[in-house]
Amino acid sequence: MNGAVPLQNGDTVLLPERIADLTGLGELGVAGELLAAFLGAFIIANLMLAMTGVAGPWAKRKITAAFTDRIAVNHLGPAGIFIIVADAVRLLSKENIIPENADRPAYDLAPIVIAGSALLGFAVIPMGSGIHLADPEVGLAFVFAVAGIASIGLIMAGYASGNKYSMLGGLRAVAQNIAYEIPLVVTGMSVVLFAGSLRMSEIVAVQTETTLFTIPGLEWAVPAWFALVNPFAFVLFLIANFAEVGRNPFDMPEAPAELIAGYQTEYSSVYFVLVYLGEFLHIFLGGAIIATIFLGGPAGPGPAELGIVWFLLKIWAVFLLTQWLRSAIPRVRIDQLIEIGWKGLLVLSFANLALTAAIVGVIA
Amino acid sequence: MWVRFERSDVTEMNDWIAIGALAFVGLLIPLGMMAVSYLLRPSVPETSKRATYESGEVPTGGTRIRFNIQYYMVALLFVVFDIETVLLFPWAVVYLDAIESDAVSLLEILGPMVAFVLILFVGLAWAWRNGAVQWAQTTRQVETESNRS
Repeated sequence: MNGAVPLQNGDTVLLPERIADLTGLGELGVAGELLAAFLGAFIIANLMLAMTGVAGPWAKRKITAAFTDRIAVNHLGPAGIFIIVADAVRLLSKENIIPENADRPAYDLAPIVIAGSALLGFAVIPMGSGIHLADPEVGLAFVFAVAGIASIGLIMAGYASGNKYSMLGGLRAVAQNIAYEIPLVVTGMSVVLFAGSLRMSEIVAVQTETTLFTIPGLEWAVPAWFALVNPFAFVLFLIANFAEVGRNPFDMPEAPAELIAGYQTEYSSVYFVLVYLGEFLHIFLGGAIIATIFLGGPAGPGPAELGIVWFLLKIWAVFLLTQWLRSAIPRVRIDQLIEIGWKGLLVLSFANLALTAAIVGVIA
Repeated sequence: MWVRFERSDVTEMNDWIAIGALAFVGLLIPLGMMAVSYLLRPSVPETSKRATYESGEVPTGGTRIRFNIQYYMVALLFVVFDIETVLLFPWAVVYLDAIESDAVSLLEILGPMVAFVLILFVGLAWAWRNGAVQWAQTTRQVETESNRS
């Protein structure tokens, strides 16, 4: 990519560059570049925090209530959304009780690792309307790698709490994460076979620029979103993703009836907020990855400026599915979970990769 | 106001500076929340408050308990497959280009990968047979084991 190519799909101007240009920071050299990058990062982080920290827990309560025929929060603000603000103040002003057996530095670092790693994953996600922080060549590998850091945070939280139920919860969480990490990444790789690149903007561009087929009589060109090109990979990825973020039917690490609250049992006050926020960020990061590599990212009808709307709609669709499964499907046992992962999804994901490769090879 | 940018309008920036900035912000936000909480929260130390939580019961036994050996087995298996995945990534990236270049046949591109995956699946089959990915033994398996010994 050199500097003189006009704007095309997949060759978008990134957020820090846009900021640098609008504010004139670009003329300041490296310092301006750093400042623009920092401003862009700050915008992305706060956008994601507003979505996952405020709208996420509120929507979770509303959706669960709707599924179980209740009303849920409705007193503060429109549809009760300000309860989240009250909750945040309440939780932050709670006494932070450190358990006596806690292993101190690790106990304090774990919430930061869990929340920070999820936030970092959003760096490479193209959200449309020019909200795209960075577009490195290794985009997809980067997002998987960063999302994987959470496992370290989970085992730190479980071990350092000094509680045997936390310990078991942490171990289960990591066993689950590593069992489903391979199917997740390998299924993601089958998308790379089509796109021929790990760069997120190119993966999106390939999906939106190719037409799968045209509906006769309606003149509708159906875009080649990978969920439509390879529905099998899409389903595999969805299942692996639910296990990866620890949601039903794979919410073993928390299993309230067995392990109190798993690795977050001994966390209170701001630490609890961070662990909880980290989990929500991971759910939304999973949704963002699904939207980007399977659902065409910010693509949708209407002008390109609407990209962020379509992108958020897709993320929320995945979130709604998560909450639906939470209400509708019972939890699997730990032995079933490991067997589904290693004997089922792993084999299926490699079969999917080999088949996709063969089909791409024959067609191309 | 919406300004449409052309690629040539803006100075191209390094992606990793932006990613580093987000890593920094991702660290700063949790630390900021901790600082706010530190200013707001009370501290009322009591001895029993800090006891290990076991649903309100008096805690029994230590923390460093014995746990299932299977956690190690799946972790070992994960390392093998994780490295395999890392080695497959470059192959997946160049796959489309290699096919379109017509310089090599499909068999030459696909064959080595399939062979590589199959070799590791022999390993998985072995681990599977030996019960490395099986969490609990069925009563029947326990009986056979005790009969054997």
